[in-house]
Amino acid sequence: MNCKEIEDKDILEEYLLNRLGEPDREEFEKHYFECDSCFSRLQVGLATQEALRSQPPSLVRAGSPRVRRPWAWTPAWAVLALLLAVGMWSQLTRHHPVPANSAATQAELPSPEAAPPRPAPSLEELAKVEPPPYTAVVLRGAGDKPRETFHKAMDNYARGDYAHAIPGLRSAVKASPRTPRFSFYLGACYLLTGETDLSIATLRRTASLGDLTYSEQSHFYLAKAYLKQKKVAEAENELRITTRLGGERKAEAQEILRRLSK
Amino acid sequence: LASEASIGPARSLAERIRQGDASAESELVHEFSRRIFVIALVRTGDREVAREFVQDTLLAVISALRKGQLHDPDKLASFVHGTARNLINNELRSRRQKPRLEPLPENLAQPSMIEELEQTERVRLVHRALEQLGNEDRRILWLTLVEGHKPAEIAAQLGVSSEVIRTRKLRAAKKVADFVRKKMSRT
Repeated sequence: MNCKEIEDKDILEEYLLNRLGEPDREEFEKHYFECDSCFSRLQVGLATQEALRSQPPSLVRAGSPRVRRPWAWTPAWAVLALLLAVGMWSQLTRHHPVPANSAATQAELPSPEAAPPRPAPSLEELAKVEPPPYTAVVLRGAGDKPRETFHKAMDNYARGDYAHAIPGLRSAVKASPRTPRFSFYLGACYLLTGETDLSIATLRRTASLGDLTYSEQSHFYLAKAYLKQKKVAEAENELRITTRLGGERKAEAQEILRRLSK
Repeated sequence: LASEASIGPARSLAERIRQGDASAESELVHEFSRRIFVIALVRTGDREVAREFVQDTLLAVISALRKGQLHDPDKLASFVHGTARNLINNELRSRRQKPRLEPLPENLAQPSMIEELEQTERVRLVHRALEQLGNEDRRILWLTLVEGHKPAEIAAQLGVSSEVIRTRKLRAAKKVADFVRKKMSRT
């Protein structure tokens, strides 16, 4: 197998889709173990696949004929859209945890408001953690077991009972370790109940799952966890990553970095 | 085409590890951890499990190299690949958790953390690159890499030839790759 053959036969895509037979798969793996160019393309292909999976539906479907109706993806897109809304909400309601609600909680967003300036904060103040907002979502086809476990656990979370949310979240993560939403809220609960080491381990795992939204949120809360432990250098590192990811926590991370540098 | 340039350094790497050179072990981790991670991720579909396989594979390889068990140092890449593949396949066959080996020392584990950050950065850049593509091109990539459609299937629905789809797909993928490469080479 050579580079040209790989391109001509769409080997890289077939590999990413896990559709190659064992002999071809092995041959391709042997090839990219020694070929920097193909491995570089493979890494970009993997990142593209991940990025496309989290694209809003309007960016990949609108305005062109459908090959088939991928209903199976609809809940995932709806969750993503809702998460984006929740993310915006979190920026606007930083001081008021959002209670759990029923399906149609795409409610009215409060009017934008700048965060109040905090004078000369101590480490303890900077380490203060507001619970990440959560809105319950009930979607068609979303009733699998881990998700049910997650929703039950999050009922406790919405009531502010983070300790009782943990066992259910742990079960959900165990059953579905690649779902960033589950492990993110587990990490948050650990943080909110003072289990800082467990929080760090869980949030770090969440950050590594490659989901952009939860990766950024995880790095931000990792910074909070390190601030709780008075590990300023580690916290600054997480805040710098948060800033670099350029999402909704960027401004807040920059502000904490600025205050830490005083 | 296999990189001929890698053969020389690979040989000396294996020999240096056999001679007890600790920095050579770090080089090996840096050289292969991302590749092992990708193999494990594609084969298992689980990032957490993939990370464990990186550790287990590197430990097994380093241990074998220290004992001089690689008879042909030119075959280092194949040796690492074969070890990773066997560990993964055995695990998938047995479908049970094996006792974990000792974790890699902190100083050797560092490169994989850096690579994780690089991958996060790569995904972020890909998002930006995708925004710059036209709707149709982005959709063709999505239908290919997420929905798993072949060019002929996409072509049939879009009313163009599969050659057109292939060309547009390759061009779009190249644009994304070039954008990422350019941005990452600056950091």
